[in-house]
Amino acid sequence: MSKSVDDKQDVIIETRNLTKVYKDFWGRPKVNALESLDLEVRRGEIFGLLGPNGSGKSTTIKLILGLLFPTSGQALVFNKEASDVSKNERIGYLPEESYLYKFLNAEETLDFYGRLFNMSAGRRKQRVRDLIKLIDIEWAKRRQLKEYSKGMTRRIGLAQALINDPELIVLDEPTTGLDPIGTREMKELIVRLRDQGKTILMCSHLLADVQDVCDRIAILHQGELKEMGAVENLLSVRDITQIQAKGLSEEAQQQIRSIIESDQADLVSMENPTTTLEDLFLGIVRDSKARPGYNRKRERDQQEPVAAAETTGASDESVDSEDES
Amino acid sequence: MVVDPSEFISYGEWLANALGGFVVLALVIFVAWTVIAFALTAIRNTPGQAVSIVGGGLKRAIFEDFPRSSLQRTIGMSRLAIQEAIRNKVLIIFALFVVLLLFAGWFLDVQNDHPARLYLGFVISTSTYLLLALAMFVSSFSLPNDIKNKTIYTITTKPVRAHEIFLGRVLGFGAVGTVLLLLMGIVSYVFVVRGLDHSHTIDTASIEWDEETGLGTGFTSVDSHHRHDFLINRNLEGEGPVGVTEVAQGHSHTIFRDGENYVLGPPTGDLLARVPVYGSLRFLDRYGRESEDGGINPGKEWTYREYIEGNTLSTAIWTFEDLSPEMFSTGPGGDEGVLPLELNLRVFRTTKGDIEGKVRGEILLVNPDKALPVRERYSAPIPFEAEEFQTFQINIDYNDIRKQNPDTAELEKVNLFQDLVTKGSLEVHVRCRDHAQFFGMAQADVYIPAPEGSFEMNFFKCYLGIWMQLVLVTSFGVFFSTFLNGIVAMVATLSIVVMGISSGFIGEVQSGENPGGGPIESLIRNITQQGATVELDMGETATSVIQALDSLYLDTMESVANLAPDFPQFNMASKVAYGYDIHLELILKQITTTLVYFTVLLFAGYFVISSREIAA
Repeated sequence: MSKSVDDKQDVIIETRNLTKVYKDFWGRPKVNALESLDLEVRRGEIFGLLGPNGSGKSTTIKLILGLLFPTSGQALVFNKEASDVSKNERIGYLPEESYLYKFLNAEETLDFYGRLFNMSAGRRKQRVRDLIKLIDIEWAKRRQLKEYSKGMTRRIGLAQALINDPELIVLDEPTTGLDPIGTREMKELIVRLRDQGKTILMCSHLLADVQDVCDRIAILHQGELKEMGAVENLLSVRDITQIQAKGLSEEAQQQIRSIIESDQADLVSMENPTTTLEDLFLGIVRDSKARPGYNRKRERDQQEPVAAAETTGASDESVDSEDES
Repeated sequence: MVVDPSEFISYGEWLANALGGFVVLALVIFVAWTVIAFALTAIRNTPGQAVSIVGGGLKRAIFEDFPRSSLQRTIGMSRLAIQEAIRNKVLIIFALFVVLLLFAGWFLDVQNDHPARLYLGFVISTSTYLLLALAMFVSSFSLPNDIKNKTIYTITTKPVRAHEIFLGRVLGFGAVGTVLLLLMGIVSYVFVVRGLDHSHTIDTASIEWDEETGLGTGFTSVDSHHRHDFLINRNLEGEGPVGVTEVAQGHSHTIFRDGENYVLGPPTGDLLARVPVYGSLRFLDRYGRESEDGGINPGKEWTYREYIEGNTLSTAIWTFEDLSPEMFSTGPGGDEGVLPLELNLRVFRTTKGDIEGKVRGEILLVNPDKALPVRERYSAPIPFEAEEFQTFQINIDYNDIRKQNPDTAELEKVNLFQDLVTKGSLEVHVRCRDHAQFFGMAQADVYIPAPEGSFEMNFFKCYLGIWMQLVLVTSFGVFFSTFLNGIVAMVATLSIVVMGISSGFIGEVQSGENPGGGPIESLIRNITQQGATVELDMGETATSVIQALDSLYLDTMESVANLAPDFPQFNMASKVAYGYDIHLELILKQITTTLVYFTVLLFAGYFVISSREIAA
């Protein structure tokens, strides 16, 4: 099989020039919710969508799930149009607020969603049992959801998203409403799911959560893609080199690189320091507000085309080579 | 009882006529959806893209979504609808119904002349109104609530097809409605049967005996707000009936001997399912010529019945088909037997005369074979007397059917099936004998009663009619809720029901058959106190403008009303209450109508759901 075909199969979500304009009753443009978004989510990665309120994260997810129709452009999931219902066979979706039927109990809820996947009675029963165990809610499985706390509802919401053992899991604010232990468990579960080969697209306001689990992120602001790439690449401060050395002489400190080599000192590390995701995010939002239309990613792509190719993560080889090194 | 003339059309003929209407209905909805979808998509994108998107949607519907329908998913959606309805405490409707029945004695007229009609009318109409109101409410609010609460997100992101969302809700709410209807039906039946069940006693000492004949007369005790006159024959031996009471409150009792006393059996004749064999009706005018205009309208506004003039050759002729000797003959060779005829004639008097007295009429049995000489075709007149508002039965004994010999002027006995029936066909001519009096009749007013059907089965058929209305209302409710919010969807569903009920009236107003004009004209007539039948006095120009506006409004209303189901067709309460069997063909027509609307709404619902932005 050719490489391009492999690449095609590895792309789980692809948006091409995806644009969404909300219009008023008379059809006049009201809000440009999303503008010409191009992104790819690849098999087996955790991809995070970041952005302040109204930046277009939820719109992107809704367009990908077919809950909204694009004004122009295209959203493809498993190489099918987002409006194609058959794609949903392989998707699990946890909405922002766990919109579930409050009059059902946990078992009924999961059984109901299992039926929607045409699962046999036996498999449904088994799956319901496993998931209830996974989310540790056995003690309350026969209580109606209206009696559940927000954290419990969130967990049952996650279970319904996993009922079909999906290949792609779309999580909208997955840690909202969870206590610190619940948050930690959720993050561990997300990583575990990724390790099982599943692809995860998530959006969150909690930057630390995203930083902890995401392989790649895209930052949106005012409907525009402002930044996208592998987390470690984006957080690396490229114009600063940080050297840590041990037993370095005073003289050698003046001519660092040559001295290290000539002094045969032990080079402990030589790398760009990293910033925090919070700083990166706030910096992008600040820039975007100060200079409307400014796009850090585009500017960086123009300055460093090679580095840009790496940060988009378009080439698995670059990731592999980093792993190997 | 009024029978819709459309009931006389056979199912095959009706289907052939209705098929065109059904196709038009489907086309109107399909074209409307395509145009609206194209227009909206073209606004959002370009006309070229709109063609591609709408065309793609159609292709997906035909080749992907409908072929990949899943029973499992539909059952899942139906179960959800059932759970939603039950946990929203819709069963309280049944409790409300029971409470209404418990207190029915407070507002039902216990001294009514026909308590069976009253009770049946009450339980059937109460069940219908409660259930349809419930169906309207539940079906209109469910989907909008799902969209408002965003629970629909977790459905549409699963491999659920749009029509399964529609189907699941209709089936789910339909199932809940069915259970409620069954419960209501059982309770109603028990209520009616127990409510009508009673007995009377006979005080033996009070019986007045005719010593010569051995016949005794008297009154029963007053029970259930009435009593009966009775006639007993004490000479009759054995355990069989020895007498019968007169009809009171729509029923009578058979009387049995119990030692020295007499006891009454249960009430009979109030819960019937008469099976009428109807004939076709035509008229002769006062000179005995075939009338193209039917009977006379003596000035009554309601044109359901037509009239014949007394003491003239004006005749109403019913032609009955497919009659056979086995239906009526009792003896060998078809010589013995009784031809029963039930008549429900109206009397219109132009002279006061004896207002309490009956009007005389006559029946002639006529062979429809016109190749025979006239004298061979006609039986001698069989006289009867008719009373206003009374259905009465004439049992024509074979021995009483005679023909006048033109040579001897003697009345000679004839054989009904050999002499008067040709190929199963027989004409029954009805005339009015009294001068200046009129008989009014519609096709359903004279019929031959076939052996009686089961009241229970008739009752069930009536509830089947309510069930089909339930399915229709639920389908419309769910359909409207796919693109309207809850309260608007409910009002839209209610409008469809009202339109369906009043489509006949709208047609009459539009055609001028019902005088007084449209809404603007009738409002002006009301304010200016102008009668409905006089010309509107507003000046030529103003009148033209008013009538043009009314006409535009009425044309639109009539078009919409014609798209709505004919709900009165499903209401069979009067048939059960008046004791007439509901014909299977009528049920078949109703089932077909329901299926067509359900299917059209299913497709329309699919296209609306699949073309709307759920998260917008």
